[in-house]
Amino acid sequence: MLGKLDWSAIPFDQPIPLVAGAMVLVAILGVLAWVVVKGHLPYLWHEWITSVDHKRIGVMYILLASVMLLRGGSDAIMMRIQQAVAYQSQGYLPPEHYNQIFSAHGTIMIFFVAMPFVIGLMNLVVPLQLGVRDVAFPTLNSVGFWLTATGALLVNISLVVGEFARTGWLAFPPLSELSYSPGVGVDYYAWSLQISGVGTLVAGINLVTTVLKLRTKGMNYLRMPMFCWTTLASNLLIVAAFPILTATLAMLLLDRYLGFHFFTNEAGGNVMMFMNLIWAWGHPEVYILVLPAFGIFSEVVSTFSGKALFGYRSMVLATMAICVISFMVWLHHFFTMGAGPDVNAIFGIASMIIAVPTGVKIYNWLFTMYGGRIRLATPMLWAVGFMVTFIIGGLTGVLVAVPPADFMLHNSMFLVAHFHNVIIGGVLFGAFAGFEYWFPKAFGFRLDERWGKAAFWFTFTGFYVTFMPLYIAGMLGMTRRMQHYDVAAWRPWMIIAAVGMAVLTIGVICQIMQLVVSIRNREALRDRTGDPWDGRSLEWATSSPPPVFNFAFNPDVRGEDAYWEMKAHARQQSFAHEEPEYQDIEMPRNSPTGFVCAFFATIMGFALIWHIWWMVILGGIGAFATFVVFAWRDHDEYVIPAEEVARIDRVNLEERRSLVSMAGAV
Amino acid sequence: MSDQTHIPAGHDLAPGEEEQHSVGERILGYVVGLVLALLLTATSFFIAGTDLVWQPSIPVALIVLAIAQMGVHLVFFLHITTGPDNTNNVLALAFGLLIVFLVVGGTVWIMSHLNANMPPMDQIMRMQ
Repeated sequence: MLGKLDWSAIPFDQPIPLVAGAMVLVAILGVLAWVVVKGHLPYLWHEWITSVDHKRIGVMYILLASVMLLRGGSDAIMMRIQQAVAYQSQGYLPPEHYNQIFSAHGTIMIFFVAMPFVIGLMNLVVPLQLGVRDVAFPTLNSVGFWLTATGALLVNISLVVGEFARTGWLAFPPLSELSYSPGVGVDYYAWSLQISGVGTLVAGINLVTTVLKLRTKGMNYLRMPMFCWTTLASNLLIVAAFPILTATLAMLLLDRYLGFHFFTNEAGGNVMMFMNLIWAWGHPEVYILVLPAFGIFSEVVSTFSGKALFGYRSMVLATMAICVISFMVWLHHFFTMGAGPDVNAIFGIASMIIAVPTGVKIYNWLFTMYGGRIRLATPMLWAVGFMVTFIIGGLTGVLVAVPPADFMLHNSMFLVAHFHNVIIGGVLFGAFAGFEYWFPKAFGFRLDERWGKAAFWFTFTGFYVTFMPLYIAGMLGMTRRMQHYDVAAWRPWMIIAAVGMAVLTIGVICQIMQLVVSIRNREALRDRTGDPWDGRSLEWATSSPPPVFNFAFNPDVRGEDAYWEMKAHARQQSFAHEEPEYQDIEMPRNSPTGFVCAFFATIMGFALIWHIWWMVILGGIGAFATFVVFAWRDHDEYVIPAEEVARIDRVNLEERRSLVSMAGAV
Repeated sequence: MSDQTHIPAGHDLAPGEEEQHSVGERILGYVVGLVLALLLTATSFFIAGTDLVWQPSIPVALIVLAIAQMGVHLVFFLHITTGPDNTNNVLALAFGLLIVFLVVGGTVWIMSHLNANMPPMDQIMRMQ
């Protein structure tokens, strides 16, 4: 009846996951109870859960990423403590638990923190920057988000029901095959990635179409803000690369469920093919994450230097070059597998070449700052911190791109330090910069600067104290994923890294405090102008938070830095634009399709993991029926009458006029 | 959202989205496509089994016929044209082909080297 599921699935003998799971459950039930008692449930359902508004969906993506960052961060803290204490002892985490923790840490941080964070920011900002009212497929957008949330939910269920994979974040066979991992851990891993992978692919298609097809008047390709370009490149990579991941995991699942032999040791399977395929996805994935971050830094650096981005066209070229070259370097993740000198040499050289467009970008940012009037607000601090950190990470990357050096450093702590250096220093710093920068746009009030700066300095310092020792430990020969070790020389570095982790944790606490303090002082921090940073692109041309239709009329773009020119133009004429003729606006209706689809996908995923076949059929039929109902809908749009548009927009125009006249007076 | 798709000149069409053609014209297009596709399929089956042509040329012929088949599908069913309204579709196709070429070509190259350098133990034994 319940497949492989019985009471032995609950790890009663392991207090850590059980207590953590119980605490999370109590927290979730508490929040739910509060929502129901306070009567917020209808509001949540109508305004958020069923919303197809790209801004709301973007916020929900970022919320998901933030919550999962805390989960992945707790895993990181546990790992650092384990390695600090497990010198000539077993530490406090048994091996099977430790292995699950590092696997879950990697899976969560990449798929459920970094991905939703950047997709959330793209969702929130790109339609505003393009001057349009929504993404190309609003309901599909909601489906994408909820399927990602399904994946995250399944990974977290594995904490208390069953186990997670012990195979590392990419589940290499033959370890991940049935003969070596008979439990449900790998199945949790694979099915949650398959389901959230569909969500990511859908988001990718949506954003590519949005950038290519929906742009306001005069917004041709070479006038798009840099963030739109990096969004285009990143989502092209999603569309091209994620099917490879889906196919690879599907083959692994066929091996595990139906006795196929794609990647087994026996019967003609080839484990090397798995490495090859998973990295053909895995390397573009790195750029899927970091390209949007590059876009965020471009916006932030140019805004806070008060200058147009230096070398805009070279930046576009560099972005698109990275987009293509990122598909030519994947073998550098397995130089040591034995492909031989000519293959290794070619991929090594390609890996070094891809550093060139990245270097172009760094110089462009530096030259944008050069001669600019720099304001070191929190987003700019993250951007400068990124440049310093990312250069170090990039250089160690070029070092391991040299095959002979890689043979020494492969799978050592040096590698761990390298990729944390680029992912934390690049993606996470970028996500935080974007969060601080666009928060006023999303919610209508600025974030507290003092707590924001404290968060930056603690995270920045904590990062160096944690990860620089790992480079040294790697040089001393320490390999990654060690549950315990007996080499005295590594011990001090592990202890320093644990101290750094504590500093990083203070940074995270500051970030949470910043949010709490800012929400409490929101009236004092209110942004009435819609343009708190003296911005340059169109998202600052509308109010904060923007009305549901974003723009009362389609902005007319006459050059790069569209809003900057509009402001300059308005100042010269010493008045803002006269009142336009308002028209009715059609907006897509909210739809529970995404939520219902994800509900059935969760049931189906859980049932597949535990081999509960009747429930698989139930979930599958439910998800398909939801799709059919949506496809046969009659009314998918509603009309906002012109008077309502005018009423909302007049308030915004009034604020804006006073801003321009004030600037004119100065 | 209809008021928003306003890129007037060279507004391009999604695959399957038709410009204003009469029904007759459209049906004719699909019929021609279907006939060509069937012809190519039939030829492939015929070539595979025949001994009328030089045997080593058969795989090459099959590859050529397969590529022609893809072309027929793209032109008649997916309506890829060279017109200015189709730039995005052509570019998407080119990008897709490039990635497929890189991944498939790269994989074949890498795996052949790995197979040569890292054969399973029993093969090494046989070689010695």
